[in-house]
Parts: sequence; structure tokens; C-alpha cells
Amino acid sequence: MGKRILDMENLRVSFDTYAGEVQAVRGVSLYVEEGEVLAIVGESGCGKSVTAQTIMKLNPMPPARIVSGNITLDGHDIVKASDNEMRKIRGRTVSMIFQDPMTCMNPTKQVGKQIVEAIKLHNHLSSAEARDQAIKCLEQVNIPNPLERSKQYPHEFSGGMRQRAMIAMALSCDPMLLIADEPTTALDVTIQAQIMDLLKEIQTKEKTAIILITHDLGVVAGIADRVAVMYAGKIVETGTIDQIFYHHRHPYTNALMRSLPSADATKKTDLISIPGTPPDLLSPPVGCGFAARCKHCMQICKEEDPPEFELEGKGHVAKCWLLHPDCPSAAERGDHNE
Amino acid sequence: MSDILVKTENLSKYFKVSGGRMLRAVENVTLEIRRGETLGLVGESGCGKSTLGRTMIGIYRPTKGKLIYNNQEMDLSSKKERFNFTKKAQIVFQDPYASLDPRMTVGSIIQEGMVIHGMYDAKRRKERMEELLDIVGLNREHGNRFPHEFSGGQRQRIGIARSLAIEPEFIVCDEPISALDVSIQAQIINLLHKLQEQMNLTYLFIAHDLNIVKYISDRIAVMYLGSVVELASSDNLYANTLHPYSRALLSAVPIPDPELEMNKKRQILTGDVPSPINRPKGCAFSSRCPLACDICRREEPVLREVFPDHFVACHLVEGK
Repeated sequence: MGKRILDMENLRVSFDTYAGEVQAVRGVSLYVEEGEVLAIVGESGCGKSVTAQTIMKLNPMPPARIVSGNITLDGHDIVKASDNEMRKIRGRTVSMIFQDPMTCMNPTKQVGKQIVEAIKLHNHLSSAEARDQAIKCLEQVNIPNPLERSKQYPHEFSGGMRQRAMIAMALSCDPMLLIADEPTTALDVTIQAQIMDLLKEIQTKEKTAIILITHDLGVVAGIADRVAVMYAGKIVETGTIDQIFYHHRHPYTNALMRSLPSADATKKTDLISIPGTPPDLLSPPVGCGFAARCKHCMQICKEEDPPEFELEGKGHVAKCWLLHPDCPSAAERGDHNE
Repeated sequence: MSDILVKTENLSKYFKVSGGRMLRAVENVTLEIRRGETLGLVGESGCGKSTLGRTMIGIYRPTKGKLIYNNQEMDLSSKKERFNFTKKAQIVFQDPYASLDPRMTVGSIIQEGMVIHGMYDAKRRKERMEELLDIVGLNREHGNRFPHEFSGGQRQRIGIARSLAIEPEFIVCDEPISALDVSIQAQIINLLHKLQEQMNLTYLFIAHDLNIVKYISDRIAVMYLGSVVELASSDNLYANTLHPYSRALLSAVPIPDPELEMNKKRQILTGDVPSPINRPKGCAFSSRCPLACDICRREEPVLREVFPDHFVACHLVEGK
């Protein structure tokens, strides 16, 4: 395995609001190795985007606040880094693409010029050289007629093209890590397939590591090496793609997988839904975040937060009291849901 | 089971855009929806599926063609007829945040339709509102609250209760689950399914999530640039996909299973959907179709039955 380029330890991020402190991220540890794709999946509001934005310190502080934890990115200490240092790291070491490319580009500036801006910030190039570089970037993401396209404005691009241009911009300075926050959610399936192919191509050719944030397990299945499942501000299960899809052990991962209609499902069988809604992070539950919706919930789940348990198979960990060696079996607990 | 509830004949809906041009959102659609069935309508954004759904319940007046409801041609230019039609056909919208009036209580949102149609007296209306909250899985006390106090899934339940209030027969579900999280989606789908069985509702289910559409629909219509290109039973469409666009669309859907996803055959379309302002000549899909030949660029194919109950609009598909 390659070397770790990102190491995050016990990160806690809170937002100070009028209603109180929203604990968006409540102790997240993860790592990314060179050239791999880590997918972070979870429902809206589970803290996946905040986690990723904190790597680049993109969330406005205040109201956001890093309560505790460490982030090491290619030797840089992100938590302590000053604004000036961050400006050098963004784009060069790590860059990000977002869900909605229209709101992330400057509508009054030609697409090519926006890419040139990023290139000149990080490289000592003349304007002409930077422009050539920008056109090469557009070509790399398969935009036809890159020269003409670079002189157009974002509104002249279609949704899929705009997302390509965003990717070109993000890759213009050859970062080690690309964070893709729901990159295809706003796109149609046929365009989504094109963009996912492009990301895969970049990852194999350029050896760029990718953190993919999504709620679509189908997208994850096609590209990820490892998967982290988040719920209520915590990672509840991490493992390789096979471990998560075929040997998951956390009840939330299981429920998530089962709530999708399988290929042979028909209307006669009800979909398995998860009752209730995620907890409010203004006053997060004391014990396990999923306890209130979990059908295997025990007394301890409501009282104490489960630690990480290592499972069979390298790198597969889950946070659930059911995995404790002293946990009684389903029959002993009187649990007939398994 | 071939009792037809809603039928369109060569239905078209155009919108005027700047420069005196026409945006042809829906073009020549002939469809039948049978009583008690769920017809899924899929296609990419901008293909006219929402416009078709809205035209089918009289929100938009068709530019050309007929809308036939219960064997009666609807004259949507008559205000009175439109009003009576809304009593039978209702809609559940995609965005549960934008489709509920933030200044009305949930109770008055649900009762509004009954008030407009002069159904029941005030006391019975309130009772019925509470029954409806029960039916969609909310608490009776929720009637006094405002929409902002609810989560997305709960709001979608309110939207469903509102559409059921006046006891319609036909409901257009316009992407009712796209704005919701996966775990909540399953709750809403199960609810819609239960209601259909209890009340014998007929659904037009518009969505772009093909896995969900396949699960909930009896038959599926695939739309591309305003026209229906393929119409078949849900099983047939997946087992025996005939139109090249349907094939590309189905193969682009990611499967939430790494092994199947890695090994599946994919057909990736190049380019983007053309604008409905300048539809390509001939077959609308010819500009992106990997199989397109001369005739496709010249003549527009019509939707024809190639296998029993399996319709397709493509020159290149050989039938029985």
C-alpha cells in the first residue's frame, strides 16, 4: 500500500448558532493513501461535507470552529495553518469540486481565464504559458474545441460540460488529493456516467487520490477502493468496498443497503425502510447516534457511545456494541430481527 | 384490467420563448394509463416529463391534441371543466420545501382543497384532516404546526395528505422522492404503495431514479426530448430493451453492488441532449444515437407496437 497523504484524527467541528452549538462532526478519524479513492457515504446532515471542507478549511470560521483533532495533509498541519499557508495548500496539494458547478464559477469571467487564475497563483508562468496550460487542462477532461470553449462564459456550458470545466480547474495544478463533494448529484444518469468515467481515468492516469462524498451507493460501487459510512457526525463503519458491500456489520450500513430496491424486487415486497429520522445535532444523543432508529438497540447503546471494534479482514472497523466480544447472541437478547 | 382512466392523443405542449421561437416541451405523445396501475415516466432533465404530467392533470393547456379522462374528452379551455377536473386529478410535487405555503398551518394546507370544492362542513373537514394525518403516518397534533417545523420526509407526507384530501382517482407524483434521503425514500415509496392498494389510486410516477421506477411501476414510458420513445411493462423494458436510448439510459444507472457494477456492459452516450428549441430533424435521438443512419435523420419514427404491449419509436427495431 502507498503512503498516507491525509491523516485525520478525532476531528470535531461545531457551528455556533443562535440556537446553540451544532456538533456537526463528532470525532472523525480517517486516512487517505496515495492514489486511492475513499468514498464517504451518509444522509444529508450527517457531517460528510463539513468533514471534507475542513480539510481545506473552507467552512467560514466563525460560525464553524474546530473543537479538537488533528489533520495532517502531506506533512502540513492543517488545523494550525495560517490563512496564508492555506492559500498555498489549496489548489496545489488538495482541491475540490462541488455539486453545483454554476454557483462555484464566476459567471462574469471566461472559463479559460478562471483556470489561468489558479495556474498563475501557484506557478511562475507567463500569461501565454498559463493560457496554453489551461487549454491543455480542458483537453484533458475531454472538452471538445478547448480553445474556443476557454473563451466562453460558464452559462454557455451545459451542466455536464460545466462539471468537466470544474474538474479541469481543480486539476490544473496537479493536486495530490481531489475532494469531490457530490459531483454528479445535479446531473442526469447518462452525464453522471460520463463524469464518473472521467474521474476514474484521472485517478488511474494521474494517480490522484480522491475523496468522494456521495449518498448514492451505486456511484460508490463503481469507483471506490474504501468506504466510510457516516451517521450523525461520526464514522460508524469503514472498510474496503467488498467489506462494506458484502460483509458489513453495522446495523446502519445494513439498513442503508437494504433500503434500496434490489434488482429482482417487485411491488409485492415492501422496501425495508429505516423508521424515524436522524438525531438533531444541537443536542446529540449520549450513546450511539443510531440507537433511536436501530432495531437491535440494547440498554448500553443508549448510555455509552460504542468504541471502534476491529473486525476480520484488514482495515475493517465498525462502531457498534453488538460487536463487543461479551455481547450476548441475538437469541439471548430476545432479538428476533436478525 | 384494460379499463383506461387517462389517455392522451397526439398531445403537444409548446412554450413561447424569446425571439418568437417555440420550445417544444412535449411533442405528439399518445399514452394510456389504466385504472389502478402505476405508469412510470423516466427520462433526463428537460425531456418534458414534468410538463407532460402537468398537462395531464390540466395545469397546462395542451397546444395540440386531446386529453381524454374516463372516456370523456376534456375541454381545458373551460374554467368550469378545469375546476371539476382538479377534483379527480391531483399532484405531489418534487420539492417539499417549495410546495407548501410557509404561512399556513398544516391543517389548513390539507383542508384547503376541501374548502375550495365545498366538501363537508367545517367539523367534518377537521375530522377528515386528522384522519389524513393518521393515514400518512403523522400525528393528529401536527395539524396545528407550520411546514418549517417538519423534516423533508414529513413534508412530503403532508403533500401527499393534501393531494388525497379531495379523494382523487388519479395522482401525478412528480419526482416525489428525489429531494429525500435514501432511508426516507423507502418510507415514502412504501406509503404511496399502501395508499394505492387501499384507495385504488392510479399513479403517473415521474422520476429519474430508474431503480425506484422499476420497483414501483407496472408499466414504464421512456421519454426523450418531448417524445415517448419506448413503452413497455416494467419487466419487459428491463429484460428486452429495444430503443437505443433506453438501452443507454438503463446501462448508465449505477448498480449498488461492486461486482455487478464492474462487470456490466455499458454504453456511454457522447454529448448532451439537444435543446428542445431546435429539435433535430427526423428522430430526436439521431444526433446522439450510435446506430443512426440516413432514414433516422430524415423521418421521425412513430411509436408502434412491436411486441404485444411493447411499444417503441425507432426505425431500426424489427418487430414480430
